[in-house]
Amino acid sequence: MLAKENRSLFTSERIGLLVALAILSAVPLFIENRAVVELVILANIYAVYVASWDILCGYTGRVSFGHALFIGGGAYTAALLNFYFKIPPWLTIFIGGGIAAILGLIIGMPCLRLRGPYFALATFAAAAVAHGLTDVYWEITGGLDGLYGISPIWPTLAGKYYFSLLLTVLCCGIVYAGGRSNKGLILKSIREDEMAAMASGINTTRYKLTAFVVSGFLAGAAGAFYSHNQLHVGPETLSINLSILVIIMSVVGGIGTITGPICGAYLLTIFNEMLREWEEVRLLIYTAAVVLILLFLPKGVLPTLSDAIMGLIKKKGR
Amino acid sequence: MGTILEVHDLTKYFGGLGAVRNVSFTLHQGETLGIIGPNGAGKTTIFNLLTGFLKPSRGMITFRGESIVGLKPWTIVNKGIARTFQIVRPFHQLTTFENVTISCLSQTGASKGRKDGGVEEKSGKFLESVGLSGKEGMLAKDLSHGDLKRLELARALATEPELLLLDEPFAGLGLQEIYSLSPLIQKLSQEGHSIIIIEHKLRELMKLVKRVITLNFGEKIADGTPEELSRDEKVIQAYLGKGGQTLVTV
Repeated sequence: MLAKENRSLFTSERIGLLVALAILSAVPLFIENRAVVELVILANIYAVYVASWDILCGYTGRVSFGHALFIGGGAYTAALLNFYFKIPPWLTIFIGGGIAAILGLIIGMPCLRLRGPYFALATFAAAAVAHGLTDVYWEITGGLDGLYGISPIWPTLAGKYYFSLLLTVLCCGIVYAGGRSNKGLILKSIREDEMAAMASGINTTRYKLTAFVVSGFLAGAAGAFYSHNQLHVGPETLSINLSILVIIMSVVGGIGTITGPICGAYLLTIFNEMLREWEEVRLLIYTAAVVLILLFLPKGVLPTLSDAIMGLIKKKGR
Repeated sequence: MGTILEVHDLTKYFGGLGAVRNVSFTLHQGETLGIIGPNGAGKTTIFNLLTGFLKPSRGMITFRGESIVGLKPWTIVNKGIARTFQIVRPFHQLTTFENVTISCLSQTGASKGRKDGGVEEKSGKFLESVGLSGKEGMLAKDLSHGDLKRLELARALATEPELLLLDEPFAGLGLQEIYSLSPLIQKLSQEGHSIIIIEHKLRELMKLVKRVITLNFGEKIADGTPEELSRDEKVIQAYLGKGGQTLVTV
Protein backbone atom coordinates (compact mmCIF):
# COMPACT_ATOMS: atom_id res chain seq x y z
CA MET A 1 0.00 0.00 0.00
CA LEU A 2 1.98 2.97 -1.28
CA ALA A 3 1.07 6.57 -0.72
CA LYS A 4 0.11 8.50 -3.87
CA GLU A 5 3.36 10.51 -3.80
CA ASN A 6 5.43 7.34 -3.39
CA ARG A 7 3.75 5.82 -6.42
CA SER A 8 4.50 8.97 -8.43
CA LEU A 9 8.10 8.85 -7.31
CA PHE A 10 8.31 5.17 -8.16
CA THR A 11 6.94 5.84 -11.65
CA SER A 12 9.23 8.81 -12.26
CA GLU A 13 12.18 6.73 -11.01
CA ARG A 14 11.36 3.97 -13.49
CA ILE A 15 10.97 6.46 -16.32
CA GLY A 16 14.34 7.94 -15.35
CA LEU A 17 15.94 4.50 -15.40
CA LEU A 18 14.53 3.73 -18.85
CA VAL A 19 15.79 7.06 -20.20
CA ALA A 20 19.23 6.38 -18.68
CA LEU A 21 19.25 2.91 -20.24
CA ALA A 22 18.25 4.32 -23.64
CA ILE A 23 21.09 6.88 -23.47
CA LEU A 24 23.62 4.24 -22.41
CA SER A 25 22.47 1.89 -25.18
CA ALA A 26 23.06 4.62 -27.75
CA VAL A 27 26.61 5.49 -26.64
CA PRO A 28 28.60 3.35 -29.16
CA LEU A 29 26.18 4.28 -31.94
CA PHE A 30 26.69 8.02 -31.65
CA ILE A 31 30.10 8.41 -30.05
CA GLU A 32 33.06 7.59 -32.23
CA ASN A 33 35.74 8.59 -29.75
CA ARG A 34 37.15 5.29 -28.43
CA ALA A 35 38.35 6.87 -25.17
CA VAL A 36 34.84 8.08 -24.31
CA VAL A 37 33.33 4.64 -24.93
CA GLU A 38 36.08 3.06 -22.80
CA LEU A 39 35.26 5.60 -20.08
CA VAL A 40 31.58 4.66 -20.07
CA ILE A 41 32.58 0.97 -19.89
CA LEU A 42 34.60 1.83 -16.78
CA ALA A 43 31.62 3.75 -15.37
CA ASN A 44 29.42 0.70 -16.04
CA ILE A 45 31.81 -1.46 -14.03
CA TYR A 46 31.89 1.10 -11.19
CA ALA A 47 28.08 1.16 -11.25
CA VAL A 48 28.06 -2.56 -10.45
CA TYR A 49 30.69 -2.08 -7.72
CA VAL A 50 28.67 0.61 -5.95
CA ALA A 51 25.33 -1.16 -6.37
CA SER A 52 26.86 -4.26 -4.76
CA TRP A 53 28.31 -2.12 -1.95
CA ASP A 54 24.97 -0.41 -1.40
CA ILE A 55 22.99 -3.65 -1.00
CA LEU A 56 25.43 -4.72 1.71
CA CYS A 57 26.21 -1.45 3.43
CA GLY A 58 23.51 1.04 2.47
CA TYR A 59 20.75 -1.46 3.18
CA THR A 60 22.08 -3.19 6.30
CA GLY A 61 23.82 -0.12 7.71
CA ARG A 62 27.24 -1.73 8.03
CA VAL A 63 29.93 0.27 6.29
CA SER A 64 32.53 -1.97 4.69
CA PHE A 65 35.96 -0.50 4.05
CA GLY A 66 37.11 -3.66 2.32
CA HIS A 67 34.85 -4.03 -0.67
CA ALA A 68 37.94 -4.25 -2.87
CA LEU A 69 38.35 -7.76 -1.46
CA PHE A 70 35.39 -8.92 -3.55
CA ILE A 71 36.31 -6.83 -6.58
CA GLY A 72 39.94 -7.97 -6.48
CA GLY A 73 38.95 -11.52 -5.56
CA GLY A 74 36.81 -11.71 -8.69
CA ALA A 75 39.42 -9.96 -10.82
CA TYR A 76 42.27 -12.26 -9.74
CA THR A 77 40.12 -15.41 -10.02
CA ALA A 78 39.13 -14.54 -13.59
CA ALA A 79 42.64 -13.49 -14.57
CA LEU A 80 44.36 -16.55 -13.09
CA LEU A 81 41.86 -18.97 -14.61
CA ASN A 82 42.14 -17.33 -18.00
CA PHE A 83 45.92 -16.85 -17.90
CA TYR A 84 46.92 -20.31 -16.65
CA PHE A 85 44.01 -22.50 -17.76
CA LYS A 86 42.69 -20.58 -20.77
CA ILE A 87 39.15 -20.65 -19.42
CA PRO A 88 36.96 -18.37 -21.56
CA PRO A 89 36.00 -14.95 -20.15
CA TRP A 90 32.25 -15.57 -20.05
CA LEU A 91 32.92 -18.46 -17.67
CA THR A 92 35.62 -16.75 -15.61
CA ILE A 93 33.24 -13.85 -14.90
CA PHE A 94 30.76 -16.28 -13.44
CA ILE A 95 33.43 -18.19 -11.48
CA GLY A 96 34.97 -14.89 -10.32
CA GLY A 97 31.59 -13.87 -8.92
CA GLY A 98 31.23 -17.29 -7.28
CA ILE A 99 34.64 -17.12 -5.57
CA ALA A 100 33.88 -13.58 -4.34
CA ALA A 101 30.55 -14.84 -3.00
CA ILE A 102 32.38 -17.57 -1.09
CA LEU A 103 34.77 -14.91 0.23
CA GLY A 104 31.67 -12.98 1.32
CA LEU A 105 30.47 -16.01 3.24
CA ILE A 106 33.87 -16.64 4.86
CA ILE A 107 34.37 -12.99 5.84
CA GLY A 108 30.70 -12.40 6.60
CA MET A 109 30.29 -15.10 9.22
CA PRO A 110 32.75 -13.68 11.76
CA CYS A 111 32.39 -10.02 10.70
CA LEU A 112 28.62 -9.74 10.96
CA ARG A 113 28.83 -10.01 14.71
CA LEU A 114 30.76 -6.73 14.64
CA ARG A 115 29.31 -3.26 14.35
CA GLY A 116 30.42 0.27 13.49
CA PRO A 117 34.17 0.88 13.34
CA TYR A 118 34.95 -2.74 14.30
CA PHE A 119 33.11 -4.03 11.25
CA ALA A 120 34.77 -1.40 9.04
CA LEU A 121 38.22 -2.32 10.38
CA ALA A 122 37.65 -6.06 10.00
CA THR A 123 36.61 -5.71 6.36
CA PHE A 124 39.50 -3.31 5.75
CA ALA A 125 41.92 -5.84 7.26
CA ALA A 126 40.53 -8.69 5.13
CA ALA A 127 41.13 -6.69 1.95
CA ALA A 128 44.60 -5.64 3.17
CA VAL A 129 45.55 -9.28 3.80
CA ALA A 130 44.42 -10.25 0.30
CA HIS A 131 46.41 -7.31 -1.10
CA GLY A 132 49.48 -8.55 0.77
CA LEU A 133 49.01 -12.11 -0.49
CA THR A 134 49.37 -10.97 -4.10
CA ASP A 135 52.92 -9.95 -3.20
CA VAL A 136 53.67 -13.07 -1.17
CA TYR A 137 52.61 -15.33 -4.06
CA TRP A 138 54.17 -13.10 -6.72
CA GLU A 139 55.25 -16.05 -8.84
CA ILE A 140 51.61 -16.83 -9.50
CA THR A 141 50.02 -13.38 -9.29
CA GLY A 142 52.79 -11.35 -10.92
CA GLY A 143 53.40 -9.41 -7.69
CA LEU A 144 53.19 -5.64 -7.88
CA ASP A 145 53.20 -5.68 -11.69
CA GLY A 146 50.28 -8.04 -11.87
CA LEU A 147 49.50 -10.27 -14.80
CA TYR A 148 49.35 -9.11 -18.42
CA GLY A 149 47.91 -11.01 -21.34
CA ILE A 150 44.39 -11.68 -20.11
CA SER A 151 41.98 -12.44 -22.96
CA PRO A 152 39.62 -9.68 -24.02
CA ILE A 153 35.97 -10.20 -23.32
CA TRP A 154 35.03 -9.29 -26.89
CA PRO A 155 37.16 -8.50 -29.95
CA THR A 156 35.32 -5.29 -30.88
CA LEU A 157 34.80 -2.15 -28.81
CA ALA A 158 31.04 -2.08 -29.41
CA GLY A 159 30.75 -5.74 -28.40
CA LYS A 160 32.75 -5.11 -25.26
CA TYR A 161 30.62 -2.08 -24.48
CA TYR A 162 27.33 -3.93 -24.85
CA PHE A 163 28.68 -6.81 -22.79
CA SER A 164 29.53 -4.33 -20.02
CA LEU A 165 26.08 -2.77 -20.33
CA LEU A 166 24.42 -6.19 -20.16
CA LEU A 167 26.41 -7.01 -17.02
CA THR A 168 25.46 -3.64 -15.51
CA VAL A 169 21.77 -4.02 -16.31
CA LEU A 170 21.71 -7.59 -14.98
CA CYS A 171 23.64 -6.89 -11.78
CA CYS A 172 22.05 -3.52 -11.02
CA GLY A 173 18.65 -4.96 -11.97
CA ILE A 174 19.07 -7.75 -9.43
CA VAL A 175 20.08 -5.26 -6.74
CA TYR A 176 17.30 -2.83 -7.70
CA ALA A 177 14.61 -5.51 -7.67
CA GLY A 178 15.99 -7.01 -4.46
CA GLY A 179 16.15 -3.62 -2.77
CA ARG A 180 12.51 -2.92 -3.56
CA SER A 181 11.26 -6.39 -2.64
CA ASN A 182 10.18 -7.59 0.78
CA LYS A 183 13.74 -8.83 1.31
CA GLY A 184 15.01 -5.29 0.72
CA LEU A 185 12.49 -4.04 3.25
CA ILE A 186 13.81 -6.55 5.78
CA LEU A 187 17.40 -5.41 5.14
CA LYS A 188 16.29 -1.82 5.71
CA SER A 189 14.70 -2.83 9.01
CA ILE A 190 18.03 -4.36 10.07
CA ARG A 191 19.74 -1.07 9.23
CA GLU A 192 17.14 0.86 11.24
CA ASP A 193 17.18 -1.30 14.37
CA GLU A 194 18.52 -4.83 14.37
CA MET A 195 17.09 -5.68 17.79
CA ALA A 196 13.61 -4.58 16.73
CA ALA A 197 13.96 -6.61 13.54
CA MET A 198 14.81 -9.69 15.61
CA ALA A 199 11.82 -8.98 17.83
CA SER A 200 9.72 -8.94 14.64
CA GLY A 201 10.81 -12.52 14.00
CA ILE A 202 13.44 -11.77 11.38
CA ASN A 203 16.48 -14.05 11.19
CA THR A 204 18.83 -11.10 10.88
CA THR A 205 22.00 -13.21 10.62
CA ARG A 206 20.66 -15.05 7.57
CA TYR A 207 19.67 -11.83 5.82
CA LYS A 208 22.96 -10.07 6.55
CA LEU A 209 24.91 -13.08 5.34
CA THR A 210 22.81 -13.29 2.19
CA ALA A 211 23.50 -9.61 1.55
CA PHE A 212 27.24 -10.31 1.97
CA VAL A 213 27.13 -13.23 -0.47
CA VAL A 214 25.04 -11.44 -3.12
CA SER A 215 27.15 -8.31 -2.77
CA GLY A 216 30.33 -10.38 -3.08
CA PHE A 217 29.07 -12.19 -6.17
CA LEU A 218 28.14 -9.01 -8.01
CA ALA A 219 31.33 -7.15 -7.08
CA GLY A 220 33.37 -10.23 -8.01
CA ALA A 221 31.67 -10.55 -11.40
CA ALA A 222 32.33 -6.86 -12.09
CA GLY A 223 35.95 -7.28 -10.95
CA ALA A 224 36.34 -10.26 -13.28
CA PHE A 225 34.96 -8.22 -16.16
CA TYR A 226 37.40 -5.43 -15.25
CA SER A 227 40.42 -7.72 -15.63
CA HIS A 228 39.21 -8.87 -19.07
CA ASN A 229 38.52 -5.26 -20.00
CA GLN A 230 41.97 -4.04 -18.94
CA LEU A 231 43.66 -7.25 -20.21
CA HIS A 232 45.56 -7.06 -16.95
CA VAL A 233 45.08 -7.65 -13.26
CA GLY A 234 47.12 -6.02 -10.51
CA PRO A 235 47.05 -5.33 -6.76
CA GLU A 236 45.25 -2.01 -7.39
CA THR A 237 42.04 -4.07 -7.66
CA LEU A 238 42.49 -4.94 -3.98
CA SER A 239 43.60 -1.51 -2.81
CA ILE A 240 42.03 0.62 -0.10
CA ASN A 241 41.72 3.42 -2.69
CA LEU A 242 39.17 1.37 -4.59
CA SER A 243 37.24 0.50 -1.41
CA ILE A 244 37.08 4.19 -0.50
CA LEU A 245 36.17 5.26 -4.04
CA VAL A 246 33.15 2.95 -3.92
CA ILE A 247 32.05 4.53 -0.63
CA ILE A 248 32.50 8.07 -1.98
CA MET A 249 30.45 7.25 -5.10
CA SER A 250 27.69 5.74 -2.95
CA VAL A 251 27.56 8.64 -0.52
CA VAL A 252 27.63 11.27 -3.28
CA GLY A 253 24.86 9.48 -5.18
CA GLY A 254 22.69 8.76 -2.14
CA ILE A 255 23.53 5.85 0.11
CA GLY A 256 20.90 3.14 0.63
CA THR A 257 18.92 3.93 -2.50
CA ILE A 258 20.64 1.69 -5.12
CA THR A 259 19.84 4.11 -7.96
CA GLY A 260 21.64 6.94 -6.14
CA PRO A 261 25.02 5.19 -5.84
CA ILE A 262 24.76 4.02 -9.48
CA CYS A 263 24.17 7.63 -10.46
CA GLY A 264 27.14 8.62 -8.28
CA ALA A 265 29.36 6.11 -10.10
CA TYR A 266 28.62 7.64 -13.51
CA LEU A 267 28.83 11.22 -12.22
CA LEU A 268 32.20 10.85 -10.50
CA THR A 269 33.82 8.65 -13.16
CA ILE A 270 32.95 11.13 -15.89
CA PHE A 271 33.70 14.16 -13.70
CA ASN A 272 37.11 12.78 -12.78
CA GLU A 273 37.93 12.26 -16.45
CA MET A 274 36.78 15.76 -17.38
CA LEU A 275 39.29 17.15 -14.89
CA ARG A 276 42.23 15.56 -16.71
CA GLU A 277 42.70 18.82 -18.60
CA TRP A 278 43.65 20.44 -15.28
CA GLU A 279 45.94 17.67 -14.08
CA GLU A 280 47.77 19.80 -11.48
CA VAL A 281 44.62 20.76 -9.62
CA ARG A 282 42.49 17.74 -10.53
CA LEU A 283 42.58 16.12 -7.13
CA LEU A 284 41.91 19.43 -5.40
CA ILE A 285 38.82 20.18 -7.52
CA TYR A 286 37.58 16.59 -7.24
CA THR A 287 37.90 16.59 -3.46
CA ALA A 288 36.35 20.04 -3.12
CA ALA A 289 33.37 18.98 -5.24
CA VAL A 290 32.85 15.85 -3.14
CA VAL A 291 33.08 17.83 0.12
CA LEU A 292 30.62 20.44 -1.18
CA ILE A 293 28.14 17.74 -2.19
CA LEU A 294 28.44 16.11 1.24
CA LEU A 295 27.96 19.50 2.92
CA PHE A 296 25.05 20.82 0.90
CA LEU A 297 23.42 17.61 -0.34
CA PRO A 298 23.92 15.29 2.64
CA LYS A 299 21.26 12.87 1.40
CA GLY A 300 23.14 12.56 -1.90
CA VAL A 301 22.53 13.95 -5.38
CA LEU A 302 19.73 11.65 -6.50
CA PRO A 303 17.57 11.70 -3.33
CA THR A 304 17.83 15.51 -3.30
CA LEU A 305 16.71 15.57 -6.91
CA SER A 306 13.87 13.14 -6.10
CA ASP A 307 12.76 15.36 -3.22
CA ALA A 308 12.68 18.34 -5.57
CA ILE A 309 10.55 16.36 -8.06
CA MET A 310 8.25 15.27 -5.23
CA GLY A 311 7.87 18.90 -4.19
CA LEU A 312 6.85 19.80 -7.73
CA ILE A 313 4.35 16.93 -7.92
CA LYS A 314 2.81 17.98 -4.60
CA LYS A 315 2.59 21.60 -5.79
CA LYS A 316 0.86 20.51 -9.00
CA GLY A 317 -1.50 18.30 -7.04
CA ARG A 318 -2.77 21.25 -4.97
CA MET B 1 -6.55 -24.04 31.39
CA GLY B 2 -3.15 -25.55 30.57
CA THR B 3 0.21 -24.03 31.32
CA ILE B 4 1.66 -22.10 28.38
CA LEU B 5 4.84 -20.83 30.04
CA GLU B 6 6.88 -22.32 32.84
CA VAL B 7 9.85 -20.52 34.29
CA HIS B 8 11.95 -22.37 36.83
CA ASP B 9 14.90 -21.10 38.83
CA LEU B 10 15.67 -18.44 36.23
CA THR B 11 18.94 -16.68 37.03
CA LYS B 12 21.01 -14.11 35.19
CA TYR B 13 24.32 -12.70 36.37
CA PHE B 14 26.11 -9.78 34.73
CA GLY B 15 29.60 -10.31 36.08
CA GLY B 16 29.08 -10.49 39.83
CA LEU B 17 25.70 -8.76 39.76
CA GLY B 18 22.66 -10.98 40.01
CA ALA B 19 20.08 -9.17 37.86
CA VAL B 20 17.59 -12.05 38.14
CA ARG B 21 17.91 -14.72 40.85
CA ASN B 22 16.02 -18.00 41.14
CA VAL B 23 12.77 -16.66 39.71
CA SER B 24 10.08 -19.25 39.09
CA PHE B 25 6.52 -18.80 37.89
CA THR B 26 3.98 -20.26 35.51
CA LEU B 27 1.51 -18.68 33.14
CA HIS B 28 -1.70 -20.35 32.11
CA GLN B 29 -3.23 -20.24 28.66
CA GLY B 30 -5.22 -17.02 28.25
CA GLU B 31 -4.00 -15.56 31.56
CA THR B 32 -2.84 -11.97 31.93
CA LEU B 33 -0.03 -11.60 34.44
CA GLY B 34 1.50 -8.40 35.79
CA ILE B 35 5.12 -7.94 36.84
CA ILE B 36 5.94 -5.03 39.11
CA GLY B 37 8.96 -3.92 41.06
CA PRO B 38 11.26 -0.96 41.57
CA ASN B 39 13.66 0.16 38.86
CA GLY B 40 16.52 -2.30 38.53
CA ALA B 41 14.45 -5.16 39.98
CA GLY B 42 15.07 -7.30 36.89
CA LYS B 43 11.70 -7.00 35.14
CA THR B 44 12.99 -6.16 31.66
CA THR B 45 15.85 -8.63 32.11
CA ILE B 46 13.22 -11.36 32.53
CA PHE B 47 11.63 -10.27 29.23
CA ASN B 48 15.06 -10.32 27.57
CA LEU B 49 15.61 -13.84 28.91
CA LEU B 50 12.19 -15.04 27.79
CA THR B 51 12.68 -13.67 24.27
CA GLY B 52 16.24 -14.91 23.74
CA PHE B 53 17.96 -11.52 23.78
CA LEU B 54 19.86 -12.73 26.84
CA LYS B 55 20.94 -16.23 27.79
CA PRO B 56 20.19 -17.26 31.36
CA SER B 57 23.08 -18.13 33.65
CA ARG B 58 20.91 -20.87 35.06
CA GLY B 59 17.31 -22.04 34.97
CA MET B 60 14.67 -23.34 32.65
CA ILE B 61 12.08 -21.69 30.42
CA THR B 62 9.46 -23.93 28.87
CA PHE B 63 6.98 -22.64 26.33
CA ARG B 64 4.13 -25.02 25.44
CA GLY B 65 6.13 -27.85 26.97
CA GLU B 66 9.29 -27.14 24.98
CA SER B 67 12.48 -25.59 26.32
CA ILE B 68 13.30 -22.29 24.63
CA VAL B 69 16.57 -21.62 26.48
CA GLY B 70 19.40 -20.85 24.05
CA LEU B 71 17.12 -20.25 21.07
CA LYS B 72 17.64 -17.15 18.93
CA PRO B 73 15.15 -14.28 19.38
CA TRP B 74 13.58 -14.81 15.94
CA THR B 75 13.09 -18.52 16.60
CA ILE B 76 11.31 -17.69 19.84
CA VAL B 77 9.11 -15.15 18.03
CA ASN B 78 8.26 -17.75 15.44
CA LYS B 79 7.35 -20.20 18.20
CA GLY B 80 4.74 -17.71 19.36
CA ILE B 81 6.23 -15.25 21.86
CA ALA B 82 6.24 -11.57 20.86
CA ARG B 83 7.32 -8.56 22.84
CA THR B 84 7.21 -4.79 22.90
CA PHE B 85 9.97 -2.58 24.28
CA GLN B 86 9.93 -0.20 27.21
CA ILE B 87 11.44 2.50 24.99
CA VAL B 88 9.75 2.15 21.62
CA ARG B 89 11.97 0.89 18.80
CA PRO B 90 10.22 1.72 15.54
CA PHE B 91 11.96 1.56 12.16
CA HIS B 92 12.04 5.36 11.94
CA GLN B 93 12.65 5.76 8.23
CA LEU B 94 10.01 3.23 7.22
CA THR B 95 6.30 3.90 6.97
CA THR B 96 3.85 2.68 9.57
CA PHE B 97 2.64 0.12 7.07
CA GLU B 98 6.15 -1.14 6.33
CA ASN B 99 6.89 -1.39 10.06
CA VAL B 100 4.07 -3.89 10.45
CA THR B 101 4.81 -5.63 7.15
CA ILE B 102 8.24 -6.63 8.51
CA SER B 103 6.54 -8.63 11.27
CA CYS B 104 4.13 -10.15 8.76
CA LEU B 105 7.17 -11.33 6.79
CA SER B 106 8.54 -13.28 9.75
CA GLN B 107 8.37 -17.04 9.40
CA THR B 108 5.13 -17.38 11.34
CA GLY B 109 3.53 -14.27 9.92
CA ALA B 110 4.40 -15.17 6.32
CA SER B 111 3.21 -18.75 6.54
CA LYS B 112 -0.03 -17.67 8.16
CA GLY B 113 -0.28 -14.85 5.64
CA ARG B 114 -0.32 -17.27 2.75
CA LYS B 115 -3.30 -19.03 4.27
CA ASP B 116 -5.25 -16.07 5.60
CA GLY B 117 -4.63 -13.52 2.85
CA GLY B 118 -1.73 -11.47 1.58
CA VAL B 119 0.88 -9.71 3.65
CA GLU B 120 -0.53 -6.31 2.61
CA GLU B 121 -4.00 -7.26 3.73
CA LYS B 122 -2.66 -8.58 7.02
CA SER B 123 -0.59 -5.47 7.69
CA GLY B 124 -3.63 -3.28 7.11
CA LYS B 125 -5.69 -5.48 9.42
CA PHE B 126 -3.21 -5.20 12.29
CA LEU B 127 -2.86 -1.44 11.87
CA GLU B 128 -6.62 -1.15 11.96
CA SER B 129 -6.82 -3.32 15.08
CA VAL B 130 -4.65 -0.86 17.02
CA GLY B 131 -6.38 2.21 15.63
CA LEU B 132 -3.71 3.34 13.18
CA SER B 133 -5.85 3.20 10.04
CA GLY B 134 -5.28 6.21 7.83
CA LYS B 135 -1.67 6.57 9.00
CA GLU B 136 -0.24 3.76 6.84
CA GLY B 137 1.84 6.06 4.66
CA MET B 138 3.32 8.11 7.51
CA LEU B 139 6.95 7.60 8.42
CA ALA B 140 7.31 6.15 11.92
CA LYS B 141 9.52 9.09 12.91
CA ASP B 142 6.56 11.42 12.36
CA LEU B 143 4.18 9.54 14.69
CA SER B 144 3.26 10.74 18.18
CA HIS B 145 4.51 8.77 21.19
CA GLY B 146 1.06 7.30 21.71
CA ASP B 147 0.87 6.15 18.11
CA LEU B 148 4.37 4.67 18.39
CA LYS B 149 3.18 2.58 21.34
CA ARG B 150 0.27 1.38 19.19
CA LEU B 151 2.62 0.66 16.31
CA GLU B 152 4.84 -1.36 18.64
CA LEU B 153 1.80 -3.38 19.67
CA ALA B 154 0.70 -3.86 16.05
CA ARG B 155 4.18 -5.10 15.14
CA ALA B 156 4.10 -7.63 17.96
CA LEU B 157 0.59 -8.75 17.03
CA ALA B 158 1.56 -9.15 13.37
CA THR B 159 3.84 -12.05 14.33
CA GLU B 160 0.61 -13.73 15.49
CA PRO B 161 1.82 -14.67 18.96
CA GLU B 162 0.22 -16.84 21.57
CA LEU B 163 2.10 -15.08 24.34
CA LEU B 164 2.48 -11.31 24.33
CA LEU B 165 5.06 -9.57 26.54
CA LEU B 166 4.29 -5.88 27.02
CA ASP B 167 7.08 -3.84 28.58
CA GLU B 168 5.59 -0.73 30.17
CA PRO B 169 2.90 -0.14 27.55
CA PHE B 170 1.68 3.00 29.34
CA ALA B 171 5.09 4.62 29.91
CA GLY B 172 5.18 8.21 28.70
CA LEU B 173 1.48 8.26 27.82
CA GLY B 174 -1.07 10.80 28.98
CA LEU B 175 -4.31 9.74 30.65
CA GLN B 176 -6.35 9.97 27.46
CA GLU B 177 -3.86 7.79 25.61
CA ILE B 178 -3.82 5.28 28.47
CA TYR B 179 -7.62 5.15 28.48
CA SER B 180 -7.66 4.35 24.78
CA LEU B 181 -4.81 1.78 24.89
CA SER B 182 -6.04 -0.07 27.96
CA PRO B 183 -9.26 -1.44 26.33
CA LEU B 184 -7.14 -2.64 23.43
CA ILE B 185 -5.04 -4.80 25.77
CA GLN B 186 -8.21 -5.97 27.50
CA LYS B 187 -9.61 -7.00 24.11
CA LEU B 188 -6.46 -8.99 23.34
CA SER B 189 -6.85 -10.79 26.62
CA GLN B 190 -10.49 -11.56 25.89
CA GLU B 191 -9.50 -12.89 22.48
CA GLY B 192 -7.44 -15.52 24.29
CA HIS B 193 -3.91 -14.13 24.14
CA SER B 194 -1.72 -14.96 27.11
CA ILE B 195 -0.14 -11.70 28.24
CA ILE B 196 2.58 -10.62 30.65
CA ILE B 197 2.68 -6.90 31.41
CA ILE B 198 5.46 -4.98 33.11
CA GLU B 199 4.08 -1.68 34.32
CA HIS B 200 4.72 1.03 36.88
CA LYS B 201 1.28 2.61 36.52
CA LEU B 202 -0.29 0.26 39.04
CA ARG B 203 -3.85 1.54 38.96
CA GLU B 204 -3.99 0.90 35.20
CA LEU B 205 -2.19 -2.42 35.46
CA MET B 206 -4.55 -3.78 38.08
CA LYS B 207 -7.51 -3.21 35.76
CA LEU B 208 -5.92 -5.63 33.32
CA VAL B 209 -4.54 -8.43 35.50
CA LYS B 210 -5.78 -10.87 38.10
CA ARG B 211 -2.33 -11.99 39.25
CA VAL B 212 0.83 -10.01 39.89
CA ILE B 213 4.45 -10.97 40.52
CA THR B 214 6.61 -8.56 42.48
CA LEU B 215 10.36 -8.46 41.99
CA ASN B 216 12.98 -6.79 44.12
CA PHE B 217 16.76 -6.93 43.54
CA GLY B 218 16.25 -9.70 40.99
CA GLU B 219 14.24 -11.94 43.30
CA LYS B 220 10.56 -12.76 43.31
CA ILE B 221 9.18 -11.53 46.61
CA ALA B 222 5.48 -12.05 45.99
CA ASP B 223 3.03 -13.74 43.64
CA GLY B 224 -0.69 -13.26 44.10
CA THR B 225 -3.80 -11.25 43.42
CA PRO B 226 -3.67 -7.42 43.65
CA GLU B 227 -5.51 -7.66 46.97
CA GLU B 228 -3.01 -10.12 48.39
CA LEU B 229 -0.12 -7.90 47.28
CA SER B 230 -1.66 -4.83 48.91
CA ARG B 231 -1.40 -6.65 52.25
CA ASP B 232 2.05 -8.16 51.67
CA GLU B 233 4.58 -6.51 54.00
CA LYS B 234 7.55 -7.26 51.72
CA VAL B 235 5.82 -5.67 48.72
CA ILE B 236 4.80 -2.63 50.73
CA GLN B 237 8.31 -2.20 52.02
CA ALA B 238 10.08 -2.76 48.71
CA TYR B 239 7.79 -1.07 46.24
CA LEU B 240 4.42 0.29 47.28
CA GLY B 241 5.49 2.30 50.27
CA LYS B 242 3.31 3.47 53.10
CA GLY B 243 -0.17 4.27 51.78
CA GLY B 244 0.64 2.74 48.42
CA GLN B 245 -1.75 -0.16 49.02
CA THR B 246 -4.59 1.84 47.48
CA LEU B 247 -2.74 1.82 44.16
CA VAL B 248 -3.14 -1.92 43.72
CA THR B 249 -6.79 -2.15 44.66
CA VAL B 250 -9.09 -1.28 41.81
